[in-house]
Amino acid sequence: MLNGTDSNTSDRPEPHDRVLLRAIAVSRILIGVLWLTSLRWKLPPDFRPNSGRGLREWLDLEVEHAAFELYGDLISSLVIPNFTLFAWLLFVTELSVGLSLLTGTWTRLGALVGLLMSINLGIGLLEVPGEWVWSYLMLAMWHTIFLTGAAGRVWGVDGWLRSRDAASSWQRRLT
Amino acid sequence: MEGGLTIDSGTRGSTGATILRITLGVIILVTWLENLDKGLYTAEGLTSFLDSLFDSENGNGSSLTAYKSFLDAAVIPVAGVYGGFQLVVELLMGVGLLVGGLTRLFSLIAVLFFFNLFLGYFGGQEWIWTYVLLVVTAIAVFVGYGGRRLGVDAWLARTRGDSPYNLLW
Repeated sequence: MLNGTDSNTSDRPEPHDRVLLRAIAVSRILIGVLWLTSLRWKLPPDFRPNSGRGLREWLDLEVEHAAFELYGDLISSLVIPNFTLFAWLLFVTELSVGLSLLTGTWTRLGALVGLLMSINLGIGLLEVPGEWVWSYLMLAMWHTIFLTGAAGRVWGVDGWLRSRDAASSWQRRLT
Repeated sequence: MEGGLTIDSGTRGSTGATILRITLGVIILVTWLENLDKGLYTAEGLTSFLDSLFDSENGNGSSLTAYKSFLDAAVIPVAGVYGGFQLVVELLMGVGLLVGGLTRLFSLIAVLFFFNLFLGYFGGQEWIWTYVLLVVTAIAVFVGYGGRRLGVDAWLARTRGDSPYNLLW
C-alpha cells in the first residue's frame, strides 16, 4: 500500500492501477493548465483583459446575481472596496494552485486550496446567467480526488520528494 | 492504494471512478431533461442548436469550420433521425452511468459524445474547459471501471466475469 510506507517496492501499483493513476495524473496536469490559463484575463497590475470581462466585472456579476445574500454582501462590502488586495491574493493563489497541480508538487496542498476555490466559484456563479454550475462541481470533485489520491506521485515532483525524504511526516502529508 | 483511488484488484473497482461515474450520470440526466423540455431532440431543435454553435453574432461562434461542414453534410440533413437517436442514447448513457450498468460501454460513448461537444464549442464564447472536464471525467470512469463499485457491473463481474475485451462492464 502507498499509505505511510517507506518501501518503494510496496509503492508499486498493479498494471491496471497504473493505467488509472496515469489517467489521474493527466487530469491533474490538465486542471493545472486550466488554472494557469484562467489567469490570462486577470493579470496584474490592473487585472483586466484587453477585451471582455475582467475580474472586477465578474465580481459585480456575483453581487448582482448572488444566490446567497451573505455571499453577495461579503463581495460588495469587503472584496470590491479592497479590490486590488483581493485581486493580488486571487492571482497568487490561482498561480500557486496551477503550478502545484501542473508539476505535481505538494499536490495535496494545491488540491485542497483548489477545492476551496472551486466551491467558492460554484457559490459565486450559481445564479449568474450563462454559467453552468456543473463545471465547478466537476472541478471540486477532481480536486477531491487529487487531495485523497495523492495524485502528484505519478508524473509529478511529489514522487521524487517522497522517495528523497520519506522520513519527514509533514512532507508525506503534503505529497 | 490511497483514499479516492482505492482499487480492489479483484473487482477492479475504484472509489474515485465511482464518484465520478455517479456525478456524470446525474449531469447527463439533468441536462437530458432540460434538452427534452427545450425540444432539442426534434429536427428543428437540433438544427437550431447546431447552427447556434457556429453563429458568431448571436451564438457560440465556434472556429472549427471543417467540423461545421461535416455537420452540415452528415447530420443536419437527417436531423430528425439523429435527434431521436440522440434522445435514446443520452438517456441510456445517463441511466447506465448512474446505476453503474455497462459502464465501460457508456463511459466510452460519453467520451465520444463530450469530445463531439468540445469540437462544436471550440474557439467560441463558451468556456471550453467544461468539455475538457467532461471528457477527462468520462475517460477516468472508463479506465477506473467506475461501475464495479456500487453498481450493476459489480454483479455482472461476479456472475459473468469480465465482458468481451472489457468493453461492456
